[in-house]
Amino acid sequence: MDKLSIRYKLKEGEVQAVENVSFEVNERDVVGIVGESGSGKSTLAYGIMKLLPSNAYFKNGRIYLFGKDILKIPLEEIRKNRWKKYSMVFQKSMNALSPVHRIGDQIKEALTIHQPYLSQDEMKKRMERAMRMVNLPLRVLKAYPHELSGGMMQRTMIALSLINDPKFVIFDEATTALDVVTQGQILDEVKKLVENLGLTAIFITHDIGVIAEICNKVAVMYAGKLMEFGSLKEVIYHPLHPYTKALLKSHPDFLKPGEEIKGIRGALPDPLKSFRGCVFAPRCEFASEMCFEREPEEISVEGRKVSCFNLSEVSK
Amino acid sequence: MKTIEVKNLKKYFPLRKLGKRYYIRAVDDVSFSIEEGEIVGILGESGCGKSTLGFLISRLERETEGDVFFRNQKISGTLRLPKDTRRRIQLILQNPYDSFDPRFTVGESLLIPLRIHKIGSHDLERKRKIYEYMEMAGLSPATNYYERYPHELSGGQVQRLSILRAMLLKPDFLVADECVSMLDVSVRADVINFLLNFASLSKTSMMFITHDISLGSFVSNRIIVMYLGKVVEIAKAKEIVKNPLHPYTRILLSYSPVLFEKRKKIPIKGYVQPLLEKPKGCRFFQRCPFSQKECSEIDPKLVEIEKGHLVACHVVS
Repeated sequence: MDKLSIRYKLKEGEVQAVENVSFEVNERDVVGIVGESGSGKSTLAYGIMKLLPSNAYFKNGRIYLFGKDILKIPLEEIRKNRWKKYSMVFQKSMNALSPVHRIGDQIKEALTIHQPYLSQDEMKKRMERAMRMVNLPLRVLKAYPHELSGGMMQRTMIALSLINDPKFVIFDEATTALDVVTQGQILDEVKKLVENLGLTAIFITHDIGVIAEICNKVAVMYAGKLMEFGSLKEVIYHPLHPYTKALLKSHPDFLKPGEEIKGIRGALPDPLKSFRGCVFAPRCEFASEMCFEREPEEISVEGRKVSCFNLSEVSK
Repeated sequence: MKTIEVKNLKKYFPLRKLGKRYYIRAVDDVSFSIEEGEIVGILGESGCGKSTLGFLISRLERETEGDVFFRNQKISGTLRLPKDTRRRIQLILQNPYDSFDPRFTVGESLLIPLRIHKIGSHDLERKRKIYEYMEMAGLSPATNYYERYPHELSGGQVQRLSILRAMLLKPDFLVADECVSMLDVSVRADVINFLLNFASLSKTSMMFITHDISLGSFVSNRIIVMYLGKVVEIAKAKEIVKNPLHPYTRILLSYSPVLFEKRKKIPIKGYVQPLLEKPKGCRFFQRCPFSQKECSEIDPKLVEIEKGHLVACHVVS
């Protein structure tokens, strides 16, 4: 991803949903994207999948997927590969499944379209394997979506996204609605896939705990901008950006009883308005005059990226 | 004085399947009590009956069997409570946008309960009180927020207002049902701190229903862990985290994601399945990695293992 900007055209003006974001995801990487709601995480994911709504457009930048610039590949080819080579688990699985088809048929459809040479038996085997992976009983295959609970549908979506053994999967808040045990089980399964099959994944979530559990790289986003990017250890254990620090402070951890939690004052800026300076400055406790004047440039050292002026002060 | 005492509370939901009658045992024989000013966390996966328990205690749902006492006064058996008792028990729900009428300004929504319970002699006085609370909640200037509609405010702000609406009535007991799980982490911390401040100021007891162990142990003094309608463990929040005894609690803890430590997960089989038939033994038996022979035959009772630490498990006791 190179200097990617995505904007939404609205009646009231243009929304800068993603602004100059660049980072790399290598094979076998599991990258976590954290940020508050409205920070552009999902837009980014839709952009990579080329699934953006019609009022969105790519302002500038490039997305390379498996070495190819996806903005230049014809849609037909993307459609062929989507689901097979790369797939995505959506946030609202209830809306992603068809209410009038059985779950089994829906999963089977994904198989027949992309791998029509498989025998019926083989398909059945694959479907059963996928169901076991996400810890669902086989009877779910015969059920309609309305018969399932939200958690079960979410798991069905995850099974569906993994059925064609994709090389790259985006999980957009995929485990947020699930119970801890199920979530843990799915994270374990994804870990196994990464190790055994060389899966690459992007995890979009606002739960830092999940990120710490599964990812090896973390991107922190705020109001469409990349605040910090680096390996898990660096970002979570030695955060540089004040926003990352504040996020970590607001997350209670049961292994550290007695520690206080602190919220971040203020709210996300209005995405319709353009502003000067750093987007986080109004809510930042380290903000200096300069932060309101100019926008900080991205400082990049050994694969780690931070955009902030007051790094020396913050790290004290 | 005990603010809430629950004795052998049961709630069965009837279900018809293939002409046969079944019951879903949402809450099955639950007993515990909440002291004055105490915050008790109810922890469990979805479908374990924690929300039903909340509704039963706040008297929005009729029980099948058992008793609920509020300050030594029996409130079970009927849903018609004296107005004053209704005022003393308040509820905060998960989705703040659903608990405010979209056609009313938030100010009106806050004013109505005060009118109903005749707090303050006239509307001007009530309004002043609302302003005062709003400023305390960090919603200032209050006049600015009073005239707004719920959809104009952010989730964190509306949730703060719904806490405020409950607190305006000076309740003795508050049920908070997943009250921050919809909010962003950055906002969540503020709302939690605000709720705790308010509760400690007016010495309100609270039942904090959540599925998030980190949050539950941060907020509560004591934690009750539920599984399929049964209480499986009760202990001080610190005890639950440091020294969980019931296999289910241990599994839950091992699965919850944490930032600073890599732990080993305890493997678990199967998934939560609602029980239609009354089970003979322990409900967790089939999924439990430590299960013994007697687990499938006798339903374990809650036993006090250490002082204040109760567990329902054959293997532990």
